[in-house]
Amino acid sequence: MAIAEELLEKEVSTQTPETFITGSKALMECLLAESVDTIFGYPGGAIMPVYDALYDYMDRINHILVRHEQGASHAAEGYARSSGRVGVCMATSGPGATNLVTGIADAIIDCTPMVAITGQVASNLLGTDAFQETDVIGITAPVCKWNYQITRADEIPEIMAKAFYIAMAGKPGPVLIDITKDAQIGMMTKPFEYKKIDKLPGYHPRIKPKAEQVQKAAELINSAKKPYILVGHGVLISEAMEEFRALVEKADIPVASTLLGLSAISIEHPNYMGWLGMHGMYAPNVMTDQCDVLIAIGMRFDDRVTGDATLFAKQAKIVHIEVDPAEIDKIKKAEAPVVGDAKEALKMLLPLIEKRDFTAWKKEFRDLEPAEHAAVNERDFAGEGKIKMAEVVRMVSDKTKGEACVVVDVGQHQMISARYYDFKKPHSYIASGGLGTMGFAIPAAFGAKMGAPEREVVAFIGDGCFQMTIQELGTIAQSGVAVKMIILNNNFLGMVRQWQQLFFDRRYSFVELQNPDFITISKGFGIPGHTCDDRASLSESIDTLLNSEGSYVLEVIVEKEENVFPMVPAGRSVSEIRLK
Amino acid sequence: MKTYTICVFTENSIGLLNKITIIFTRRRLNIESLTVSETERKGVSRFTIVIKHEQREAVEKLVRQIRKVVEVLAVFGYLNDDIVYNEIALFKLPTPLDSKPLDMETINREHKAYIVYWDLDYVVLQKTGTEEEIFEFFKYVKPHGILEFVRSGRVAVSKTPKGLVEYLPDEVEWEYYL
Repeated sequence: MAIAEELLEKEVSTQTPETFITGSKALMECLLAESVDTIFGYPGGAIMPVYDALYDYMDRINHILVRHEQGASHAAEGYARSSGRVGVCMATSGPGATNLVTGIADAIIDCTPMVAITGQVASNLLGTDAFQETDVIGITAPVCKWNYQITRADEIPEIMAKAFYIAMAGKPGPVLIDITKDAQIGMMTKPFEYKKIDKLPGYHPRIKPKAEQVQKAAELINSAKKPYILVGHGVLISEAMEEFRALVEKADIPVASTLLGLSAISIEHPNYMGWLGMHGMYAPNVMTDQCDVLIAIGMRFDDRVTGDATLFAKQAKIVHIEVDPAEIDKIKKAEAPVVGDAKEALKMLLPLIEKRDFTAWKKEFRDLEPAEHAAVNERDFAGEGKIKMAEVVRMVSDKTKGEACVVVDVGQHQMISARYYDFKKPHSYIASGGLGTMGFAIPAAFGAKMGAPEREVVAFIGDGCFQMTIQELGTIAQSGVAVKMIILNNNFLGMVRQWQQLFFDRRYSFVELQNPDFITISKGFGIPGHTCDDRASLSESIDTLLNSEGSYVLEVIVEKEENVFPMVPAGRSVSEIRLK
Repeated sequence: MKTYTICVFTENSIGLLNKITIIFTRRRLNIESLTVSETERKGVSRFTIVIKHEQREAVEKLVRQIRKVVEVLAVFGYLNDDIVYNEIALFKLPTPLDSKPLDMETINREHKAYIVYWDLDYVVLQKTGTEEEIFEFFKYVKPHGILEFVRSGRVAVSKTPKGLVEYLPDEVEWEYYL
């Protein structure tokens, strides 16, 4: 971004006591008070006073210079998703701020806690079409949980406290704080004081559910003959994995996860049946038509889960445990809604649930598996022709013992990774679920590594996606952290091509790519890598990737026209699931 | 199509009107009228929004989405029977020298409208009432010719014994009344 011309500075009274600080310094103090250790950002004219203040805080706050602001917002998402803390990103006004928007929109739909800080022109220039002025509040209002424009330094502590509270509380989401340049430069007129908040007049989400709601849910679950649990992202967000497992084991109910609910329960758990949705597994999908009580925990009946929602589980009574009241009855009517945090709800529910044995009912799920294996897995692992994406994912899964943090981009590789990686640890599948943002993986994988440095982060990325945020290889190289990236290259925008093949009569409209030499590019950024084109060297190639000390890019040339199955065609009932 | 009146209580902050109206536009709902004023409680604004909708369920969902806006303290959705409501309209009618004089008795007694301003060539009549009453009056004065006509949005109070702000902000939690 070009540097803005120096704007009119607000005059600072000479009588200001020495103890008073500038807005920018106050902002830094707020970040420290919220234990922020990492910011992903990009400087520019209207945010320069903040960056100047940051210069004195470099030892306490690690600022990562991204290569494009979209990278900053996705990296903040990755950080938040792997660490469970608020991801912070920062950009200048105008184009800096608008470049953040995709990541913000991604964060709201996937409930990712984020605080985005943007610079803004001085308050006296607002509305004058000043250099790099954009109505960021207007632009981001529909995609933010909350946003606010600060025009006075004095507002900073209170507003930042609100921002961090709102970002995390209840159903997490992104908050954008736009700070005018005069508020950054100006001195506070009172001593800095930071008070964390835990309640607002207009926002006080219910965490502990009402006892009568839990009671009703328990009665319904206890009366069920064929209960079935769908676990969503909410269980991971509220760190309710233990409580969830306890419930599953006591009630012996079969479980399927949503895409973002992956890794909420270990794939090895005997009650875990797989994940459901458009490209989910066969049994988890079709059994939604068989259960009598469907227990949805921390999920929102997205259309990629339900297909035609009017036909989805229409025979079942629904128990819906959800922190956001607006989600209750939004898509599916719930007989027993429980509004509250998943952890609290499950804690209250557990003692009310009877111990049951559903061996026969669980077997009904398992009985469907051979058909899926025969149609899908056997094809994926036939070992003929070009390498299949499935083989790569499975091999990485085996070599990492299912314990890596897997970050994926959007498309076929995203579905294949969900299908064949054996998640054994929570918070291990980081994907852009709701928004389906191509270009998510490189910055999000980097952010995830920053948020959980002790974990091995492996990213599966399509060749189309890789080129959307390829510049962030520079960020990764400069930071020195180790991100293991695997490009599953089929020279196509594979998922779009698959739809064109299946639903548009093979009219391949603009889906074939002339790709660059990814490895040369990676090396140009200072990240080593190599290409694997044959099955015989795949294992060795993955070893090289996983054993490399720093970041590494492995490009695997995969089958060009491979389709992902099972598939529930968009807008159809899950009973119309196709295995080929 | 039923008429719904949605009363939204909010903190008084900049940009809130936009945050509320985008919830309607995103769902392609047309706002019939909208009135904003400060309530009997300082710092609390009250939006009165009128929409027409075929499905009560969709309005309930809308109410919950409005409730999600952080600055919104409470939202209440009503059918016409649940509220006392009115609108106000101003009619500017020409009164040239040779025109038929206005029948002020009918205007006053039957339509409960009265003159709030007059000049040499025109008068301004004020009529308060429901949308139907105002349009009834509109039809009545139309033969005289109308220079200008303007109608306000609806204002409404609930038929509950307590004031609505009494429910704010804690007692109401996420609940809504519809």
